[in-house]
Amino acid sequence: MKSPYTFLTRPPVHFALSLAMIVGLGLLAMVSVRTAFSRLLGNHAILTSNVVTAYQAVQLNSSDPEAHTKRAQLLYHLGQPLDAVDALGQATSLRPRDYHLWLSLGVVREQVEDAAGALAAFNEAVRLAPYYAQPRWQRGNLLLRFGRFDEAFADLRMAARSNPELTANVIDLAWGISKGDMGETERLVQIESDRMRLAFAHFLARKGRGAEALIQFQATAESTSKDRRELVQKLINAGAFREAFAIWQTTVSGVVAGSEGGIFDGGFEGALSLNETGFGWRIQRNPSAVKMSQDSSTPHVGGRSLRIEFSGDSSPGTHLISQLLVLQPAIKYRLKFARRTHEIVSGVLPLVVVYDTSKEGRRLGQSMPLPQGSSDWDVVSFDFTTEEKSGAVSVTLERQHCGSPPCPIFGTLWLDSFSIEQLQ
Amino acid sequence: MTFTFLPAKGSEMNLRQRKALRAVAAFLLFAVAQVSVQIGLADPNNPGSTPFPQQFIARLTTRANQPITVNGNSAATGASILTGALIETGPDTGATINLGPLGTLDIAPNTSLRLDYDENGNIKVVLISGCAILTTRRNANAEVETEKGPAAKSDKEAGGVIDICFPPGASAPTVGQGAAAAAGAGAGVTAGGGISPALLAALIGGGTAAVVIPIVVLSDNPSESAPSASLGN
Repeated sequence: MKSPYTFLTRPPVHFALSLAMIVGLGLLAMVSVRTAFSRLLGNHAILTSNVVTAYQAVQLNSSDPEAHTKRAQLLYHLGQPLDAVDALGQATSLRPRDYHLWLSLGVVREQVEDAAGALAAFNEAVRLAPYYAQPRWQRGNLLLRFGRFDEAFADLRMAARSNPELTANVIDLAWGISKGDMGETERLVQIESDRMRLAFAHFLARKGRGAEALIQFQATAESTSKDRRELVQKLINAGAFREAFAIWQTTVSGVVAGSEGGIFDGGFEGALSLNETGFGWRIQRNPSAVKMSQDSSTPHVGGRSLRIEFSGDSSPGTHLISQLLVLQPAIKYRLKFARRTHEIVSGVLPLVVVYDTSKEGRRLGQSMPLPQGSSDWDVVSFDFTTEEKSGAVSVTLERQHCGSPPCPIFGTLWLDSFSIEQLQ
Repeated sequence: MTFTFLPAKGSEMNLRQRKALRAVAAFLLFAVAQVSVQIGLADPNNPGSTPFPQQFIARLTTRANQPITVNGNSAATGASILTGALIETGPDTGATINLGPLGTLDIAPNTSLRLDYDENGNIKVVLISGCAILTTRRNANAEVETEKGPAAKSDKEAGGVIDICFPPGASAPTVGQGAAAAAGAGAGVTAGGGISPALLAALIGGGTAAVVIPIVVLSDNPSESAPSASLGN
């Protein structure tokens, strides 16, 4: 049977088709070369900061939004935002469904004091990409500057929903706008998830609002141990020790609820962590000429004690071990601990010191320096009184002041059975 | 047949009813209006319901839209800067804060400062470390402090420029010697001119794509637009 397309093989038709294809491909190649060259010129214009070249790129292919965008970038960068607005206007008219161009246009329009124009551009960006964070974020900020707070926060919340990293910024803005009013901040932010509530708790902790931070934390259904550790750290930094302790308790086992005021693991029975930043034992990382370990050979009581081996020139000021204790203000306490030594030799001996945690860090009390030579287990105690406005103290092991370094120390020290009691 | 000037009995009743109806209608209208006003005031979604006073809010622009830190949070161009903000810039990242009718504050890279301002034209910059240029307009009452105490004040009548640097560990700030300008204060060009490295990287990235793929179908899909072609964003 004869094919219906045999006419295509006839020489004149074949020739015409070939010619049309060649012409078509030629036109396509021309467009391609023009576009490529225009973009090359645009890039070159930016690299050389040459406005004329940028303009030539636009002239070469005025229907390419890229050329206009490049020109706008250059003009903006050269401090000509008004011209950049025009160029971006051209780009958006050529590519009207690109939210990012509208976003850029809005940003530059606001810079040239065209707030209404900026809002129109941001509106378009939001319309095109309603679930993207940046359009909402930019429009929300603009509305905030307009004083349209409720509309602004509706956008800002949406932005934070799309990009959770913005949550802290939204809370910060709400806090600032409401002049630190908790209720208004909550109303503006509209906390609707544990993640947001935790972010709010972190924010409050940073602001030193420990009680409120604790309330927010307690209202969360779920939180990771990392979240809790970070929150504890922020509360400690802000001096909110009581609240920090309440949260820290939830991160460790072995602390009875309400055991505030006691020493945690005074017998060194549990695992010690070099990463402790809360209310457990904090162990100095890699102190020079000192080795610390938990020793189960001859503890004072229980199954273990802390063994500290000195082997030379260790820095006397270093807090080898320390622990934060939440105590009542203006109260007299007695700290007790057991110590054993083996061939300790030094002119600058170790001792246990209690510091106040205020900025000044006043020394509230200290033990007698631990003895030279070797000694069996012996319980030592000393009294101290907390400051009037004190929330916590730090118990540390360090060495006496070294008058003329170096001040080496050799020998082994064991510590065990730390405890504290209130005297009045 | 009777003819009288008095209205018929039925008509008299209608008039009374009409008057009563008018009174009831007026009362209802008043009541509805009251209820509407109450509801309007109570509606949490009412755009005018926020009880905060109108306040001027400053705007941030960062160099090449690189993030800086505001109150411990990352912020870039377009962010709002409220009074009392603690602002920190990193290396290579300058920033400008537009204080509207009060002026502008250009911040150099590696600077840390606290900015306070109010509706009455008062601006206070506490420069913790680094460099900044505070440009004020007429009637703005501006001062710059460091930990060493007051460092410079603006001329309220004429406005002016305070160029100040206070490097970490310095015994006193350097004021009015162009040190902050030399340190590249502001969101404009980098110190010494030229294009910032971040912008350059973005442009070269975009440029490479353009050179390698010269013919592309210009997508109208917003999600496919190239974010690298950023201006202020």
